[in-house]
Amino acid sequence: MPNKIINKVVIWDLPTRVFHWLLLASYLLAWITYADNRFLYFHVFVGYIFFGLLIFRLAWGFIGTHYAQFRSFAQDWSSVTEYLKGLINGKAMRYIGHNPIGGYAIFAMLLLGFIISISGLLTLAGEEGHGPLQGMVNYSVGIASHSIHEILAWVMLLLTIVHVLGVIVESIWHKENLVWAMLSGQKEAAAGTSSIQGHHLLALSISMVVIIVTPIYFNGYLKETADKLYQPYKGPVLPDNASWRENCSECHIAFHPSLLPARSWQKIFNTQHQHFEDDLDLDDETITELLKFHLDNAAEKELTEAARKILYYTPENVTPIRITKTIYWEKKHKDIDEAYWKHDKIKIKGNCDACHLDAKEGTYEDSDMRLPELE
Amino acid sequence: MKKYILIISTLFICQTAFAQSAQDEAFKAYSENGKLKFDSKRGHVLWTKKHPDKEDKDRQCSTCHTKDLTQKGKHAKTGKVIEPMAPSVNKDRYTKLKKINKWFKRNCKWTLGRECTNQEKGDILKYLTQQ
Ligand code: HEC
Ligand code: HEC
Ligand code: HEC
Repeated sequence: MPNKIINKVVIWDLPTRVFHWLLLASYLLAWITYADNRFLYFHVFVGYIFFGLLIFRLAWGFIGTHYAQFRSFAQDWSSVTEYLKGLINGKAMRYIGHNPIGGYAIFAMLLLGFIISISGLLTLAGEEGHGPLQGMVNYSVGIASHSIHEILAWVMLLLTIVHVLGVIVESIWHKENLVWAMLSGQKEAAAGTSSIQGHHLLALSISMVVIIVTPIYFNGYLKETADKLYQPYKGPVLPDNASWRENCSECHIAFHPSLLPARSWQKIFNTQHQHFEDDLDLDDETITELLKFHLDNAAEKELTEAARKILYYTPENVTPIRITKTIYWEKKHKDIDEAYWKHDKIKIKGNCDACHLDAKEGTYEDSDMRLPELE
Repeated sequence: MKKYILIISTLFICQTAFAQSAQDEAFKAYSENGKLKFDSKRGHVLWTKKHPDKEDKDRQCSTCHTKDLTQKGKHAKTGKVIEPMAPSVNKDRYTKLKKINKWFKRNCKWTLGRECTNQEKGDILKYLTQQ
């Protein structure tokens, strides 16, 4: 056996490694926080980090060290087919950088990452009216972007799984720990292969940026007090009415008219003498004014996302007289523990302001809800 | 400075005057042309009298307003906080006739299952305004 001289060299520079693990962290956190409206503000934050990292990686792909450069892992077609043949025969070649298939998988993931980031920003602007693109796109663009965002997130998950499987298989195959390689940067290489430059200062800067922007972004939470909880997202100022505030907030919070369709308000006012267990007994003049205010701003006017969704999920032949009996409301609150509804602090489902910090404004923004502590 | 004190004290006097007139008007209306006389002791009894509802749970005025009128109450059904009923701690109480009538109608129906008579309303109001 010829005496092969093997030495350890640094293949992955520190910025690439920091990028890799921060990207993974932001990506996992985005998955954990996507399904619950309470975490939107956080989800958007990790989205920004994710996007920022990708932009860095794009630049680094051109100006970075050898193995981090795109041209080092965009190999020609014949290497790909050769590598595939090797895979089938069980004699896959070992590459120091990315193998040809791995290289293209990285391209695919980067591209997906970019589209996911941008469609996320479009969703945030179109559906919620927030973020840097707010006011630039309408609601239907928001919905379309939301679908793209979700579908591509699943595609990327699939690719991530393939990527991880690839790493495991190759690690076993070549008896080298590739995960450790991405942590230490080192791989074994034939004599003559030289280490790349570390670029430690750049890596440190990237980490510092993340460490500095995090408390700035979450500043509001750090400063909140028990009686003034932080509302990360402020909704639009909705139409108001003094008589409504006066007459409809005596026994419960004044529910904004945007929370039920016009036909529901018509029914509620027609039956004012049997308002649940109460007789509202409002005079004609008051009723006329209140009814007008409610019809003018009912769900059909789509003043908020909640209005749109409540309207969308309510079948046209149904006239709910409770917000809390609408399909959308039930869907959104089905996961809340029964203990909350029974607790003295909440008592009835209509006590929206026990959990929604912006219930009185009627905007029901994401991230502006907190379950109260039950003792 | 003096000007402000003057304005503020005038406002206070006006408010007391308003309260007085709203209550006077209420008593006058409930008295059915002076026929009925009102007694705060009877009012106090009515305030805590128990009325069983459909589910056989007791309903009283104090269910929502509490027995100690200087304390905040809580709506029995919705849990919403109700400011104290005693005018000695809550100056805004019984200052509008319309409001007094509206709530007598609503709350009597809810608590007793019927509207209150003028006698009952006068007695209760007498009791409430003396707190
Ligand atoms: C005298 C007390 C009282 C007043 C005044 C009042 N309500 Fe109500 N309202 C209730 C009660 C009691 C409920 C039922 C609470 C429960 O059991 O969940 C209710 C429930 C509701 C609900 C359904 C809430 C849900 O569960 O989704 C709506 C909508 C509503 N009220 C609208 C109004 C409007 C509009 C006005 C003003 C015109 C008004 N209310 C004034 C007592 C009142
Ligand atoms: C016990 C606490 C609680 C109460 C009371 C409550 N909510 Fe919620 N609500 C939540 C939570 C938590 C969420 C987030 C659920 C999720 O996304 O998984 C939510 C979500 C929502 C959403 C969706 C927000 C979005 O941006 O998509 C709307 C709209 C909403 N609630 C309206 C209401 C209204 C109207 C009431 C009163 C009639 C109410 N809620 C009462 C806790 C509550
Ligand atoms: C289901 C809860 C509830 C019960 C029971 C109840 N009330 Fe009330 N009452 C209220 C609420 C809510 C208000 C409005 C409070 C406010 O303006 O701060 C009110 C207001 C009033 C007012 C008007 C006060 C003012 O400032 O003018 C009077 C008078 C009154 N109640 C009398 C009664 C009497 C008499 C009973 C018993 C027959 C009774 N209430 C039982 C809930 C209740």
